[in-house]
Amino acid sequence: MPELLSPIAGNVWKILVAVGDKVEMDDELIILEALKMETPIFSEDNGTITEIKIKEGDAVNEGDLLIVVG
Amino acid sequence: MFDIFKDLIFSSGFFSLTGGNMVMWLISFVLMYLAIKKQYEPLLLLPIAFGILIVNLPLTFLMEPEHGLIWFFYHYGIELDIIPPIIFLGLGAMIDFGPLIANPKTLLLGAGAQAGLYFTFFAAVLFGFDLQEAASIAIIGGADGPTTIYLTSKLAPHLLGATAVSAYAYMALVPIIQPPVMKLLTTEHERKIVMKKLRPVSKLQRICFPIVTAMTIMLVVPPAAPLISMLMLGNLFKESEVVERLTKASSNELMNIVTIFLGLSVGATMTAGTFLNPKVLFIFFLGLFAFIVSTSAGLIVAKVMNLFLKDKINPLIGAAGVSAVPMAARCVHKVGSEANRRNYLLMYAMGPNVAGVIGTVVAAAILLKNLG
Amino acid sequence: METDWSKVLEVFGSGIIGVFLVMFLLQILTQLSTRVIDAVENRGKSADVETDQSVVSAKD
Repeated sequence: MPELLSPIAGNVWKILVAVGDKVEMDDELIILEALKMETPIFSEDNGTITEIKIKEGDAVNEGDLLIVVG
Repeated sequence: MFDIFKDLIFSSGFFSLTGGNMVMWLISFVLMYLAIKKQYEPLLLLPIAFGILIVNLPLTFLMEPEHGLIWFFYHYGIELDIIPPIIFLGLGAMIDFGPLIANPKTLLLGAGAQAGLYFTFFAAVLFGFDLQEAASIAIIGGADGPTTIYLTSKLAPHLLGATAVSAYAYMALVPIIQPPVMKLLTTEHERKIVMKKLRPVSKLQRICFPIVTAMTIMLVVPPAAPLISMLMLGNLFKESEVVERLTKASSNELMNIVTIFLGLSVGATMTAGTFLNPKVLFIFFLGLFAFIVSTSAGLIVAKVMNLFLKDKINPLIGAAGVSAVPMAARCVHKVGSEANRRNYLLMYAMGPNVAGVIGTVVAAAILLKNLG
Repeated sequence: METDWSKVLEVFGSGIIGVFLVMFLLQILTQLSTRVIDAVENRGKSADVETDQSVVSAKD
């Protein structure tokens, strides 16, 4: 089951998807905010979102699990 | 009765106004607009702009030596070199050197971009500036406000306003100046390079870094001491995690306080008499040149390093070697993600970015040693 | 004022070389200190690291 890990440390600004959504490769899933810059995080697989591990406003570190795509 | 009225009018500023004053008002209003409406470095441009305005109101004698209010700010803060090191204390308390410690090679990228400013020095001499002036103009390419002010106030105080405004203005314009240079000097393939994950940095390593750096740089280039010692002290405060109050005081209250005096005094050096001369236009032109050359030098050094490295670096991060923190790093990240949307260069670019801060100080210290 | 070109070249050359030398020195010292700290911290944690190292060197 592919897991989307956070590529950078920052705060979760917006979550653009919900559990059950179908996503495709390169879809924008989350926007992180790091160093006052919004960084969109893109899906790395096709599939359905089975789990969202974070909520808006959370601080995440590099390598933290963000979303599970089933 | 009539005499009193006449006196009032003649002792007012109106009769001493010059056309130059009014041009300076206009410049001040433009800077205020840029600061307030466009939010270009407002923390500095706003006090600078207001400083320009009030110093160009005649007969106020605000900059009169030994008398004027702002002259005292200027004298104690800038002429005696107190404010730039205090700002560095605050910067140190905010900067995370982690990405640099994880990949010390990026120190060379910081050096690369700073080496670029010596080309500007050369160009400025060709334009007819004397060596001290040329050095003060070149340091604009380091994209570091406090260092620019520090060096200029020592070498060419009459250019202080122009070099400081030019440095802060171009820093705000980094997202416009840098990307074309970056795209010109790198290939699509290079921009797509995804870098090896940074290794974790332990707390002890973070604590040792400012100590090692302070000792090394001060032993090798003693003229760097005022700036580097404060920068590293601030960082030691932050990384030690035991003096949170001092860290916060350095990076918030103290820094904000001195920023007010810094901006106001720098603005107040810009009277019509010193600012309105053709040299200033050249300074703005050379400042832009300096940014472009330093960005290019960083990119080129990154490409040269890639010839020797097993784990290739993305040459874009070389452009972050100009020390505009974190604008240059953001800019690298953006250009990188345009080439490959899953390339997150931000943290990698922070390495050379903070290395650039150290590099600018070293470059300034070497200039100071040779020309001071 | 006449420009002293030998001084210009001196500042130019010594500046570029100087910046690189100082930063290179700092790089070496940073690498050295982080490695020493790594070694000390790892020895404290476990002895497994030792075997990892030997595997690598055996390959060489």
